[in-house]
Amino acid sequence: MSPLPLSRLRWQRAAAKALFLSPIVFMVLFFALPLALTVVWSVFERTMFWMKPGFTLFSYENFFFSARLENFLGSMMHSSVSVVVAFLFGFPVAVFIRRRIPQVAQHRVILLFILPFMVSEIIRIFALRPVLQRTGLVNSVLLELGIITEPITAILYTPMGVIIGEVLSFLPFIVFAGFLAMEAVPKYVFEICDDLGARPHRVFIDVILPLAAPGIFAGAVFIFVNGLGVALLPNILGGPGAVNAGLIATQAISALDFPLAMAVNAIMMTTLLGLLYIGHRLFDLTRILTPIN
Amino acid sequence: MNQFEFNRRMLLKSATAMAAVGAAGALGLSGAQAAGPLKLWTIGIAKVGAKDWSAMSKQAGIEIAYNAKSARADEAIQKMVVGDGSKLYDAMSDNGGGMEDALASQGAVVELDTSQIPNWKNVLPIYNPGGSAADTIRHKGKIVAIPYISNADSLAYNYDKIGADLTSWGALFDAQFKGRAAMQNDFGPTLTNTAIYLKESGKQDIDNPSDMNAAEVKGVCQFLIAQKKKGQFRTFWDGFGNGLNLLASEEVLVSSCWEPIQIVAAKKSKMDIRYGTMKEGHQTWNNCFMLTKGGQARGQSDAFYKLMNVYLSTWFGARTLQTFGFGPQMQGVNEYVAANPKDFNAALIRARLAGKADRYKVKGNSWQNVFPTHMRDYQDWWARVQAA
Repeated sequence: MSPLPLSRLRWQRAAAKALFLSPIVFMVLFFALPLALTVVWSVFERTMFWMKPGFTLFSYENFFFSARLENFLGSMMHSSVSVVVAFLFGFPVAVFIRRRIPQVAQHRVILLFILPFMVSEIIRIFALRPVLQRTGLVNSVLLELGIITEPITAILYTPMGVIIGEVLSFLPFIVFAGFLAMEAVPKYVFEICDDLGARPHRVFIDVILPLAAPGIFAGAVFIFVNGLGVALLPNILGGPGAVNAGLIATQAISALDFPLAMAVNAIMMTTLLGLLYIGHRLFDLTRILTPIN
Repeated sequence: MNQFEFNRRMLLKSATAMAAVGAAGALGLSGAQAAGPLKLWTIGIAKVGAKDWSAMSKQAGIEIAYNAKSARADEAIQKMVVGDGSKLYDAMSDNGGGMEDALASQGAVVELDTSQIPNWKNVLPIYNPGGSAADTIRHKGKIVAIPYISNADSLAYNYDKIGADLTSWGALFDAQFKGRAAMQNDFGPTLTNTAIYLKESGKQDIDNPSDMNAAEVKGVCQFLIAQKKKGQFRTFWDGFGNGLNLLASEEVLVSSCWEPIQIVAAKKSKMDIRYGTMKEGHQTWNNCFMLTKGGQARGQSDAFYKLMNVYLSTWFGARTLQTFGFGPQMQGVNEYVAANPKDFNAALIRARLAGKADRYKVKGNSWQNVFPTHMRDYQDWWARVQAA
């Protein structure tokens, strides 16, 4: 085989370099630049219909020294509860699939968790109402069985309704991430634990959790961020005036307060980046990619 | 989602149909005018007579290229003032009494010549100079908007469960409906309706419920916060579907809402859900069409006026009243209905018109204000209501 001509070799190297750089270009164009613009716009001055260049921290002051901060923190708390509940339900499923389902079938079982995502998010959330409402399925069955005498009203149009919605909507994230993390744990580790007579709860706490921590954290961040940002959930399932960060920004836009909306987004992004940094320092998030490596 | 968006599926179908009409026109198959179809940016329920825009198009004798629009003020401002809406659309609709001023002041919409609209002679007298709604279609004294629907929003209540008619906003804050009351998740109508109640019942001094100062906003919101903390509200509804579901599923028995919600909730639940007349007053509003600067430049004025003539015809007025419960903007609807008994439920039309007349008579009514002077106070205090 004759060697490639020099010009073609150079062209191929340039193409390979461009290919290598394309993710960086993509991230700069669609992540770093919009984020930078968000921060810049957040310090602009509000005009009646838009905003004008300038420097003011009024939008941040308006956020941190108003009830918006309280709403934001409340939404963080609800999202945190959703993360914990989703972990309690979802991670054991991931462990079960990894440990008990035959290897050839594991990915097919995991794929089943994608099915809910094929239904529009708004329909999934709307569909919860006929189940949870006063005259809904849950109350009807419980009343019929004589377990309750009055409809339960705490499961819809309350913070609990939002948490139920978040868990049901985002549970697959923790299952996927947990499963991916579990794939990084060699099966012989479990066999050694069994041989040494370790009790299941010790295996879970001392072996599985530390090894799967990066995956669990990644899944938790997905759920947390969605809980903060998906405005539909508090809008449809929450109580009077329930909001999350996404809804705070949407409402600011509706009121034509664009700098405030930008400030809310900048705060959300900073929170997320801070979380990712802490997570990476604690768990080394690159370990999630171990199975791929 | 707002009251103008609820039949989105219907709206999408018509958008597809009109896209087909537009495509046919582009191919020279439909004898389109030189300027092409009138590019209309409006809400889905601005049409009557058919599921798509064919009936409206036929009545006006023009081609219409429909573009779906929400009723959010920020959307109209972003497109027409900040964006390139004037290039995209020949005509658009939005709230009167605020948006027409905002858009005309920015040169996005143009002055109209009502002599080009034969049915203008039938327009409700409230729009004539000096009339109570005259300012809602004018900018600096010149007409820039043509009204096509209006209403006085009120309280819907489940008569079957309550067993009595309600005539006061006080019902929303009455302990007997604790946990069974709802208001809209929007500071505009919710603060205005509450302010009307507090003012007219003598509970708070408020000069103008549509445009409160900071102290008045604070007082209204503190009242709402106290009610919320007592557990009075089941939720604040957001969007047509949510408001409808609350009433139809008996989740709430009283709700301040749009009339189409009450109409559909009653139909869906087969319960006697009524729309009352509140003795304290109501938030009143209208929706209008405007000719964009671009539409005028593209020679679409004639087509615009032809369509406006339809909107001010009793043909449209009777149909929008029967279908959606919106108030017609012209006189002679009862006579038109009487002359066309097969097409209408005359008793229903009469009852709805009478209900509207009763609501409009109430002294404490306040016009919807899209841009209150102290908007920031409204926003900040609403956030506190949400956080409470």
